[in-house]
Formats: sequence, structure tokens, C-alpha cells
Amino acid sequence: MHAVGSLEFWIQQMINALGLGSQYALMAVGLAMVFAVMRLINFAHGTVMMGGAYIGLLLLQRGLPFPLVAAGTILGAAALGVLMERIAYRPIRGAPDVALFLNSFAVAVFLENIAVLLFSPRSRPFPMPALLTQVFHPWGDLFIPSIHLWAFGGALLALGGLAFFVTRTRIGLAMRAAAENPTAAQLMGIEVGKVTLLAFAIGSAMAGLAVLFWVAHIGTVQPGMGFEPVLKAFVACVIGGFGTIPGAVLGGYLLGALEIFLQGLLPSAVVGYRDALVYAVLIFLLLVRPGGVLGHGEAERI
Amino acid sequence: MRPLRWFGVLFLILILAAAACAPGAAPTAAPTGPAAPASPTAAPATPAGGAPIRIGAPFNLTGGMASIDVPAANGARLAAEEINAAGGVLGRPIELLIRDTKTDPATAATVVTQLIEQDKVVAVIGFNDSDYVLAAGPICQRAGVPFITVGATSPRLPGQVGDMLFLAPFGDNVQAAVGAEFAFEKFGKTAYLLWDKGAEYTTVLAKYFKERFTELGGTIVLEDTYQSGDKDFSAQIAKVKALPQQPAFYYISALPDDVGTIVKQFRNAGINGPIVGGDGYDTPLLLQVAGPAAENVFFTTHSLLTADSPNERVRKFVAAYKQKYGTEPEAVFAALGYDTVYVLAEAIRRAGSTDGQAIKKALESIRDFPAVTGVINYSPQSHIPQKGVTVIEVKGGKFTLAAERVPQKVPAP
Amino acid sequence: MEKRSGSEMKAISVRQGWLWLGRGLGGLLLLGLYLVIERGGNAYLQRLSVLFLINLMLVVSLNLFTGFTGVFSLGHIGFMALGAYTSAILTLPVTAKAANLPDLPAPLASVALPFLPALLLGGLFAALVAGLIGIPILRLSGHFVAVATLGFLIITRVVLINAEAFTRGTRTFAGVPPYTTLSWAALWAALNVYIAWRLKHSTLGLQILAARDDPWGAQGVGVAIGRVRLIAFGISAFFTGVAGGLWAHFLTAFSPNAFYFSKTFEIIVMMIVGGMGSITGSIVGTLLVMSVTELLRNLEPGVTVGTFSIGPLYGLSQIGLAVLLIFLTAFRRQGLLGDREFRLEALIERTEDWIREFRVPWKASSVREADPFMRR
Repeated sequence: MHAVGSLEFWIQQMINALGLGSQYALMAVGLAMVFAVMRLINFAHGTVMMGGAYIGLLLLQRGLPFPLVAAGTILGAAALGVLMERIAYRPIRGAPDVALFLNSFAVAVFLENIAVLLFSPRSRPFPMPALLTQVFHPWGDLFIPSIHLWAFGGALLALGGLAFFVTRTRIGLAMRAAAENPTAAQLMGIEVGKVTLLAFAIGSAMAGLAVLFWVAHIGTVQPGMGFEPVLKAFVACVIGGFGTIPGAVLGGYLLGALEIFLQGLLPSAVVGYRDALVYAVLIFLLLVRPGGVLGHGEAERI
Repeated sequence: MRPLRWFGVLFLILILAAAACAPGAAPTAAPTGPAAPASPTAAPATPAGGAPIRIGAPFNLTGGMASIDVPAANGARLAAEEINAAGGVLGRPIELLIRDTKTDPATAATVVTQLIEQDKVVAVIGFNDSDYVLAAGPICQRAGVPFITVGATSPRLPGQVGDMLFLAPFGDNVQAAVGAEFAFEKFGKTAYLLWDKGAEYTTVLAKYFKERFTELGGTIVLEDTYQSGDKDFSAQIAKVKALPQQPAFYYISALPDDVGTIVKQFRNAGINGPIVGGDGYDTPLLLQVAGPAAENVFFTTHSLLTADSPNERVRKFVAAYKQKYGTEPEAVFAALGYDTVYVLAEAIRRAGSTDGQAIKKALESIRDFPAVTGVINYSPQSHIPQKGVTVIEVKGGKFTLAAERVPQKVPAP
Repeated sequence: MEKRSGSEMKAISVRQGWLWLGRGLGGLLLLGLYLVIERGGNAYLQRLSVLFLINLMLVVSLNLFTGFTGVFSLGHIGFMALGAYTSAILTLPVTAKAANLPDLPAPLASVALPFLPALLLGGLFAALVAGLIGIPILRLSGHFVAVATLGFLIITRVVLINAEAFTRGTRTFAGVPPYTTLSWAALWAALNVYIAWRLKHSTLGLQILAARDDPWGAQGVGVAIGRVRLIAFGISAFFTGVAGGLWAHFLTAFSPNAFYFSKTFEIIVMMIVGGMGSITGSIVGTLLVMSVTELLRNLEPGVTVGTFSIGPLYGLSQIGLAVLLIFLTAFRRQGLLGDREFRLEALIERTEDWIREFRVPWKASSVREADPFMRR
């Protein structure tokens, strides 16, 4: 046994923070990519996760082996993201940011209620293979749920791949160019439409990967399940500086750590204020570093 | 862009059409066809003649409360169909007007007003949360329409609304008291308390548990909370593990959607002591999500709702529900919805009329009414049924009966 | 940007008589409508009307900030919650306080105010909080204000849940006296619309609109953007708080869950449908969205046409609303009225034009367009 404040307690909470942070980072990256290419805060990102989860569940119920289910979840989420871009966002590209944001909110409400009609609002169990749910007890009282390792590894791989993609490949560079300056990119012969679509596909695939880990962690799927994650991803993006992939990743880990340590260290009388503190930190960050922790100095102010 | 837009329109229509035709979709997917048996035009498969007796059934079928309210609405519908198939009440069929109130108290009040004013319902059943009961209750009270809440368990409700309100379940103070007494005797004097601060049911349950448990001489060694929507409990768990000594048991007050997740994460972390909870645990999700981790979980609820229950009424209900909706009752609220309609039908039968006051009087006269969720007793003094509380233990991957008790002392509402 | 603000007032060439006749007719129509609903005895319609008026206040107030300044607030429902809880705590009878809020601090525990002062204090409290948070966050640029106000909404909810001595936490706050009547709601809504209208057409309003359309230019001519935004924010929060108080005394029971994202979304949709920056648009938007929602909701239990029956489709009204919003952003982004107003003057002008055209049928309109003497 170890006491609060002991080294073991800190290590344990550190592991928890890394695990949760990896999940948030994966969720946030997709949001950040989409924001970068079309300045859209895609509120329906969480709905993409939900959609991916249900696709996975349907495949699982067909009796498919788990690797296929996982692939289906990721591809399904990607397909959903692409469809979304084609149907709901492409027609209004170039609209003011707020119009885009509200549109994504409407898309989220729409898809969630469709899911309620199709699958009923009840939670459904999503059994995961033991590989994802087992727990390691390395020494003492420490425990490491394997999902933390998976999420960490998954985040590392996916984000590493992404980093390679956007810095080393032609199309990745085009994507960054389009994010930097769409007009100039267009003039240079980059098909911004294609790049946007690709950003949606990759971002949504990341959401699919994230939801796999998320569902393994919680064990159920439900039409409203996308709401909390998208909020977390959003906060992570703001903390890290909106629209940058490293910012989203860092923001995800910072948010995870903030939540875990506030929950772990606040006395029970005030622990209920945890989320208020998280958002207070967020607002404070906006005031002192509007560009996020990674942002370059002052953002536009009036 | 034009063609794309039209493509969009087409796609939306397609999705809507798909949703409309989807089988097993809406909470009502009746195998016989999508038309609810309650709707006036759908021919009720019943020998009962005469104008139907209309009963309002507002539930939050969409939004945050949906996963709790939909099973309740399903249970109510099942009961209405059974009653109609058996000849109805007073020779007339029951027409259950199920309405969605969208997890919004303003909509709840509007819907109930509409049910009373326009649809002229003789009684209202519904809701599983005080917010909506208290938004709609005063309207029923003023109109003199009896209102039985299916699953809102705050024992203060009758005092807050008035004499037209009845509860179908026992009050949370009763089950919390039984939980505290049972665990105190069986496991010991120290407890860990965790509850969901974002929901009323879980908050109230935790408060009553704490009150009764400390009154018995128990100590809460650590108290912690989370917010509805939280799915990661690792920080809370690390705090438990950091306790110098593990408590005798863990009382965790959670909503049905979360119990499986919480139990699973606690067990995964190596916390193997008994976990105790309330009727939110009475959902198949507990076993499906937590699996073998659910062993050594105890919870207080209305009755043992399993397909092999010794109680024939329960077996019949579980089988009928499974046949109609293709799934076992998702939560205990399904059984409560079912019972509510039966107890109301019984009251109308006894009253011999559909007058509000007569139904209310008849409800107050109900004694030892055998329901799926236990034996229901009302009286003019108590509109909260005096029922025994069942304690269930998860053993061998199944819900098994651990005890049936009446609390020695109930915390004041 | 061809945004035409209402400020671009033309010399009114209409006969004043017509105008007054129009105003009188409009007033009579409203009064008649009010009496029909008030005396008609249809409680369902009455409820919807009160809800409409409260929603209207929320939408107009939100528009007063968001539409006029162009800065998005996602936190207005937080002000509604503050107004609701403040006024409800103030009017709750002392006995009910003893039973429901035993830990309420002394001065609050022993008073029960009448409705009007409680409403005003609720509104003022919301405005005060708006002032406090507005000073830092309104200096941020657009996107970030939206994020910060979203944070405010969430913080408000967390505080309401945890400040149990004042709010009972997540447990339902019940027993609020049912003071809100159709007349109260109508009076406040009328006042709100009137003040918003005057504000839009005042010097301050012009400054706010100028700051929205051309921040640098406005600053150049001496408009203190932060200050004018803050004033709009405060007034807007005040009326939102009052609307919250009316809502609280209408429903009489609520919990923090009522003041969250779904309500925020609902109000924003109403504002967008009507048009950001248009007060008459807010009326149209609120009316349209509520009608569509209510209509679809009534279809949800299922409809039967002949032998063909659909439903039940619970959730239809939310889906309908979302589709409406998606289509609106695709086809008419500025909302039904944009930021223009529906004005009686314009209607009369148009009618006059029409009459003139009728009298002089041989004059092609294009010719008239070209004739400098016929143009206004």
C-alpha cells in the first residue's frame, strides 16, 4: 500500500495521465487537421467516432475476427468523414468560420439522432479481445492497463506516421501549404479540394483509431458517446494552439495530465470543481497565450 | 456545386427513409409493424370495445435520459398491449399515448399540458428523473389528473407535487438504507463512497447511504465524485489504492450506462473487495461489460429479474419483453414501466370510472398488489409504495438473490 | 461585404398618416392576438406562447451581442442559468427555503422577494458576471471569444452543481412560485425588443455595428471596440438573465442540466434562421423554429395516411431542425432576413410603389429606374 503523495502514487497517476493523454491526443489530431485545412472546428468529429464504433460493432456481430473489426472501424470512420465533407461542408466552403462551426454542430445533432433511430439509444456492450483489456502489475501496487500502452503506442505510431506524411511526402506538403495559404496553394497548382478531402479522411481515420481504444476502455457504445470526446479534443486543441498537429498532441497530453492530477489531488470537498478548473485554465491560457502553449506569441487582439 | 447539393438532398432523404423503415429502430419496433398499438387508427388486436381509455405516457425518448426512459416506455407499452389482449379495462381498450419530451423540462411541461388539454388523458405515467416529474407534476395536480412516475425515486416528490402524484418504485432512502444495513452487517464498518455528481438519482442515493451508514456507526474512509460522461476512472482508482488500508466495501452510486465501465476499471486495477450499489446496477450491461469482473458485486433493487426467476410473474415479463423487443429488459426501468401500467389499470378497474379523483382514491386503496418489481402498497398517507428491497449478488456470472429485506430505519426524505 | 445596416436610413418619403395607420393596425393585431391567447383558455397554446416570448428574449439578447458585434457567444445560456437560479432563490418562500436549502446563508434564507425585484436582481447579477468575465475575454478575437464563452458555460454548470447550499446541486430546484404569466412574458419581451431596436439605431449601436464591419476603421474614428462590446455584452446578459428568471418561474422546477448545450444550440439556431443582427429576424426565426419543432414533434408518434403509416420516429424534430440549419447555411447563409430589419416604412413604401405602378401601367419599371426623378 502506498499513500497519496508517495512516489508510487505519483508514478501511478503519471501512467494514468499518459494513457488518458494519448487517447485525447489521438482525438485532437483529427480535429486539428481539419481545422488547419478549412478553418472548421468540426464538432461532428465525435459523431465520426460514434459512427466508427457502431460500424465496428456491426462487423463484430457478424462474427468477423478482431483485426478486421478494427480495420473496419477505422475505415468506416474515414469514410464517414469523407461523406460528411462532401455533403455538408464542401457546399459551404469559404463560409465564415462560425457558419462552418454551426453546420458541424447540426451535422452532429443530425447523425446522433439518426443513430438513435437506427440503433436505439441504449448502450451496447462492445466486447474487446483480452489483448486490449488485460492489465499488467509490474511491481508493488502499480497497475498498467494494457489499453494505456496500446493508446500510447498507437498514438506514437499514428502521429509519427502523420509527421512523416506531412513533412516528407508531396501530398503531405501540399496539405500544409493549403493550410498555410489556400489561395497561394491553389495558384501553385495544388488542388485544395482534394487536399481537404484527404485531411478529412486521415483525421477521421485517427478518430476511428481513437474510438477503438476509447471503447476498449469503457466497454460500451452509445449514440451520444461522441459528445465528451469532441469536447476534450477541442480543449486539447485550444491548449496546444489550434490547427497545429504538434499542438494538438501536446494539448492532449496536457489535458490528460490536468484532469488526472486535479482529480487525484483535490480534496473531496472541492474535487467536484475539477472541470471548472480545467476550463478556467483554458480561459487563462487564451488570455495569456492565445496561440496555445506552442503558439508563436500573441495572436490577433483588438 | 449544384449537383453536389442535390446529391446531398437525396442522401438526406435516403437516410431518413432508411431510418423510418429500419427494423428494431425506434423504441417501438413492434414486430407486427411500425404503427404503435396505441395509435388510434391501428386496429387494436383486442376484443375490448368502446372508446379507448387514454393514458398519457411522456418519456425522454431522445437526449441524455433516453437510455433509461426508452426501456421504461417499452415496458409500459408491453403492459398496455397485454391488458388490451386480455380484454382491456372496464370493457374498453387502453390507449397509451407515448410522447417524447427530449430530455427537456420545458418540453415535458408542454407535452403534459397537451396530453391533458387536447388528448383528454385520464391519467399520466412516465419519467425517471425528478426534473421532469417536477416540471410536469404541478400541471397534472392542477388538472386533477393522477400521475404515476415510473422511475423517479426521490422520496420528496409527493410532498413537492401534491396528492395526485404516485411513485411506482420505492424511494431512494429505502434502498440506500437497505444497502447500508446489509453491507454494514455483511462486510464491515468502513466504506469507500463514489458517486456521479452530474445526476440526481446518484447524488440522492449516495447521500442517503452515507446518512444511514454513519448512523449505524460506519466510517466513510474516502469520498470521491465524478461527472456523468466521465469514462476514465483511473485517477479515482489510484486514490483508492493509495488508502493506507482498504475499506470493507466500496459503495458506488452510478447510472446504468456507467456501472459496467466502473466495475471493470476498478477490478482491472486489482480492487477485488465487494462493490455495493443501487438499482442502477440492475442492467445486463453490468455482466456484459464487466464480465467475470462483476463477481462480488452487490446491489439493492426491486426484484430479481431473470429469465429463471422463481417468480412466475417475473419470468413471464422477461420472456414477453424479450419476444417483443429482441433483448432482455435493458434496465429495471422496463419492469417499472410495465408495473406502472398494470397498477394504473387495476386502479381504473377498481374505481369503475375514469374520473381523476376516483382513480386517485382507488390507487390509495391498493394493497398487496403483485407486481414484477415486488408487492405494491399505497395508502392515503403514502404515495410511495412500501415494497421490500431485494439485494442481488453477482455470482457465477449471474444475478442471484442475496437477501430480501425491509430497512430497520429509513432516513427522512 | 455588402452588409447593409439598419443605420442606413433613408429620408422617409411616406406619408406619416400611412405610417401611423400601419402602426395602429399592427398594435391592434398584437393586442387582439394577446387577448385571444390569454382569454381563449387553450392552456397548450398559452404555454407555447409564453415559451415563445421567453425564447424570443433569449434570441434577441443573444443577437444583441452576437449579431451586432459579430463575436460569437456560446455561453449565453450560462447567463440564463444565473438569472434563473438567482431570481428563484430570491422568490422562494421562506418555509420552502428552510426545507430545501437548509444551508443558505442568513440574509438570503429569511427573505422572499416579490417577482419584479427578483427578476431585476437576477438580470443584474447576470450582467455583473458578464462584466467581470467580459473585461478580459472580449478583448480576444472572434474565434477565441467563442471558445472562452463555451468555457464559461461549462464552468457555470460545474459551479451550479457544486454550490449545493444555493442550488441543491443536481437535485431538482423545485417549489418556485409560478409567477410567470403571459402578460409578464409579453411585457418583458416587448421591452427587450424595444430596447434592442433603440440600441441598434442609437449612436452606440452604430459604433457597435461599425466595429463589427470594419474594426480598424472604427478604431480609427475613435470607437473603443472593447468598451462598446462590453456594453452590448452586459445589456444582452441582463435580458438573458431576466429571461432565465421568467423561465424559472414558469416551469417552477429545474436543475443545472436544463442550461446546457441543447438549449444553447436551440437558441443559436433560432438566431441564425432569423438572421444575425436582425431584431425582426429574431422574431421570425424564433417563431419559425418553434413552429417547425412543435409540428414535427406532433408527427413523431406516427401518422397514418390511408393504409400507409409512418412512425413512430422519436427525434424527428431534432433531425428536422439540424437539416434546416444545414440547408440554411448552404443556401441562405445570412438567415432569412440577414441583418436587415422588416420595417413598416419599407412595407408602406412598397405598397405605394405598387399603387403607383398600378396607376401608371404603361410606364415600364425599367424606365422608371432610369429616371432620376422617380427614384428614391
